Amino acid sequence: MSLIETLPHKLGSSVPWMEKGGVLWLDPGPLAVRKLCAEMNAAKARFITITTYQLPGTEGFRLEYHWDIEGQLLGFPFKLEGNSIDSIYDMCEAADWIEREIHEEYAIEFTGREYEPLLLRAGDTPGVNLREEVKK
Amino acid sequence: MSYKIPMGPYHPALEEPYKLDLICEGETVCDAKLHIGFNFRGIEHLAETRNYIQVTALMERVCGICSNIHTLTLCQAMEQLAGQAPPPRAKYIRVIMAELERLHSHVLWAGIASKLMGFKTMFMTCFEIREKVMDVLAAISGNRVNYSMNRIGGVNRDIQDPQAILAMINQLESEMMHAVIPIFTTSSTARSRCAGIGVLNEEKAISCGVVGPTARASGLPQDIRRAAPYAAYPELEFNVPVEPAGDVRARLLVRALEIIESISILRQALEKLPPGEIDTGDDKVKFITGTATSRVEAPRGEVMYSVSWKEGSRNPSRVHVRTPTYVNMPAVRWMVQGARLADTPLIQASIDPCYSCTDR
Repeated sequence: MSLIETLPHKLGSSVPWMEKGGVLWLDPGPLAVRKLCAEMNAAKARFITITTYQLPGTEGFRLEYHWDIEGQLLGFPFKLEGNSIDSIYDMCEAADWIEREIHEEYAIEFTGREYEPLLLRAGDTPGVNLREEVKK
Repeated sequence: MSYKIPMGPYHPALEEPYKLDLICEGETVCDAKLHIGFNFRGIEHLAETRNYIQVTALMERVCGICSNIHTLTLCQAMEQLAGQAPPPRAKYIRVIMAELERLHSHVLWAGIASKLMGFKTMFMTCFEIREKVMDVLAAISGNRVNYSMNRIGGVNRDIQDPQAILAMINQLESEMMHAVIPIFTTSSTARSRCAGIGVLNEEKAISCGVVGPTARASGLPQDIRRAAPYAAYPELEFNVPVEPAGDVRARLLVRALEIIESISILRQALEKLPPGEIDTGDDKVKFITGTATSRVEAPRGEVMYSVSWKEGSRNPSRVHVRTPTYVNMPAVRWMVQGARLADTPLIQASIDPCYSCTDR
């Protein structure tokens, strides 16, 4: 069994990977993002990015976390009921800038970390959903 | 006593607007803080208001150096959602454009690095060669910067005379092998200026998630062309240069060796260029609902696009771009720690930063 094939079991998932759009997806279910990050670190996976989707109406957000193992892109979607999720920055340094960017662009709180402005300039307010301005 | 030296956002040592706050003790840099966002254009959000033709033109403008790579990555993602596969000839032309862009980018970087080393004659030589690479790109595409080559299901222009392009590549190779490669691989000037500075060790490179030549110069043999091949790369032979030292010289060596590999790939692709169509000929593009992801090895490292579409929609519902400098730049903080202040311009330039890409 390859490392990737063993991961669903290690992550406590009863469903296998699903290949879609060039990515192997796994529904993390109740798994906390920090537990996922710890398993990815243990598997020596390379963190790629987090992609944010604002869902229609008041459905909140979906964050897709991506790691790479031996050239295979892995995806883990997390549905946010509110606007906060645990930060993984202290476990995965590579997630720093993307967490800051998502906080600035979508007003999502990554709990357990502090922010400094990334893309915004002095005088701007971090944590404002910039997409709301696009909609107007 | 420590003091802070702000470098940038507008500074002769920086090619684009960004800012490094260097915390120094004497001439030694103890720490650095990076500030970006001076070019932030909100392109990802703008993409949600463009149709598939417009979004291709828009994303080509994310970067002025690797513009072709952005449309290639975007089109590969959109092709998954549209159920279109480019014909073999188009895949080869995509590789040819991608490798020419890598040559152009690496030679441009070599010129800037030479200038920062104080080697201004080499700077002029590199820029002269870069012009010739751009001539080849213009001969194929008709354009020097935004090539407009990629479309869903193929490419927009054919390579009518591969032998003529091959002759141009042979000429370029001759000039690079005589002028650029020996200077960067064996010159004692380059060695003394670059060896042992700006070190990013393998452990830190993994932790920061760096990509491209920056990762390969820290001993990580990662290259998407090899790990997850796309276009015509599975049919071409090439090496992935890796250097373990992690210093500026290792980044210089990796790029110099990659120039040689790119020329080899170009020669193979031009000689093997299969006959046939350059696109699917299907002008009616229909997208299915879903998200598709594509990754491509840009000159500076891995680019990733996530594209989401809803069936029947005119525009994408989301386009997310992860560029190489976005992950490479935070590592500069670790590279400059303990360095001499005078070395910081060269160290930050050694990752070949692109803020147009990073700020999007």
